[in-house]
Amino acid sequence: MAKCPMLSAIVLLACFFVPAVHAQLNDQPKGVAEELAKRKWNNSPPVKSFYSGQKNHGPAPVRDLSGIWDGTAEGGGQFKGPILHPALYPGSRADDDAGHPDETGVVNPLPFTAAGLEALKKNKPGDGVRAVDVANTNDPVDYGNPSGFPRMLFYELRVIELTQTKNQIIMLDEFDQHWRHIWTDGRPLPDINDVEPRFFGYSVGKWTDDYTFEADTVGVDDKTWLDNVGRPHSYDMSVHEIWHRVDYDKIELTVTVDDPKYYSEKWTGLNKLVLHRLSDDFDMEEFIYNGVETEDYNKSVAGEAARSGKPAK
Amino acid sequence: MSGKVGAVVVMFVGLFAACVPLQAHHGNASFDVSKHPTVKGIVTEYVWANPHVYLKFDAKDENGQVQHWVVEASNPPDQTRQGWTKFSFKPGDEVEITMGSVARNGQPIGRFGFRGGIILNGKPFPPGAENAGDTGETVPKQ
Repeated sequence: MAKCPMLSAIVLLACFFVPAVHAQLNDQPKGVAEELAKRKWNNSPPVKSFYSGQKNHGPAPVRDLSGIWDGTAEGGGQFKGPILHPALYPGSRADDDAGHPDETGVVNPLPFTAAGLEALKKNKPGDGVRAVDVANTNDPVDYGNPSGFPRMLFYELRVIELTQTKNQIIMLDEFDQHWRHIWTDGRPLPDINDVEPRFFGYSVGKWTDDYTFEADTVGVDDKTWLDNVGRPHSYDMSVHEIWHRVDYDKIELTVTVDDPKYYSEKWTGLNKLVLHRLSDDFDMEEFIYNGVETEDYNKSVAGEAARSGKPAK
Repeated sequence: MSGKVGAVVVMFVGLFAACVPLQAHHGNASFDVSKHPTVKGIVTEYVWANPHVYLKFDAKDENGQVQHWVVEASNPPDQTRQGWTKFSFKPGDEVEITMGSVARNGQPIGRFGFRGGIILNGKPFPPGAENAGDTGETVPKQ
């Protein structure tokens, strides 16, 4: 990236705007934090400012990612798309933009191929510059599908638990209570023509040094979206993750997408996103989009708000 | 109940900077984020659910007609971080809400998100909300 000043400038510009999108997640009434900290069940992760003053618990353990980790504080919600590629216009407020036919003019645009653009336009997201009314989206998540991979890293990356076994690293995700496993037993990736598509694909990984774990994933069902703003991927996509244990308290996560059918070059959605270690007794809330509650919400709120009628006064 | 229902007070507040983006899985395509009416009424239902928490209440409009308002918040984890619980509101509570945005189609539907914009039974809700963003430190559990 450093070799391309223009790209670096765009990325910096994107990073400048994204914090505004996530302001609320790091904004908390006085006194609430103390109340939340007393809880034993259904915990809520701290706001970002807590981590800057946090006691350092020492160096990173060797070849160990296990623990409960918080992506919320650093903007893991990613409602407008991956942190480095938000579907926002330069200088716009987070919720000003909607209803545009494509992503022309967004900060740090993705390198869509013609096929990628065609696929993009079929997806009707509820957020970003192409957002449509909630009642009119075709977001698979709104219809009960799992977010899939890598959307689980590019959307609602809040609290996760990583655990390691002899042959796997297992990721438990608070959002929708998803899980995925990354094989570490040395097996190669499958030929995608020999396996059935999966929402979360097929993942293998290995330690490239004592503090860095790298994983590759293929075979992701192309019915899933990459993010919350409807970016598509083909079945040919592969995803590379780098999980770097900085010290006891932090992991840096980098995620790169390679999908030549839909994108003319590889692109990185997260670059060293910091995940903060939570206490071992942190109890994740249930955060599950379920059919009955979603239908009630769509009937009571979203559908009514999208129904045609007189303009607001 | 109607006697308790306050009049709708529409105040197009100019303090746009005080409006906090609502976190959600969707944006504001159906909502006008430049309008922040304040509406006073009586809670009829409070739903703590995914993908969104929402509050229903009755309020009289300027013609004395009861309108059934629905105001949506974010999801339960976000609201928990803001000091809300499943038991924060109950039917019969008096609320005065300054909307973060309202439905473009004129339906009595809004979204929370206006800092300090909730008065519950005469007091700011959640306690300290009017100062949100000042410090907000979470006590460590390390």
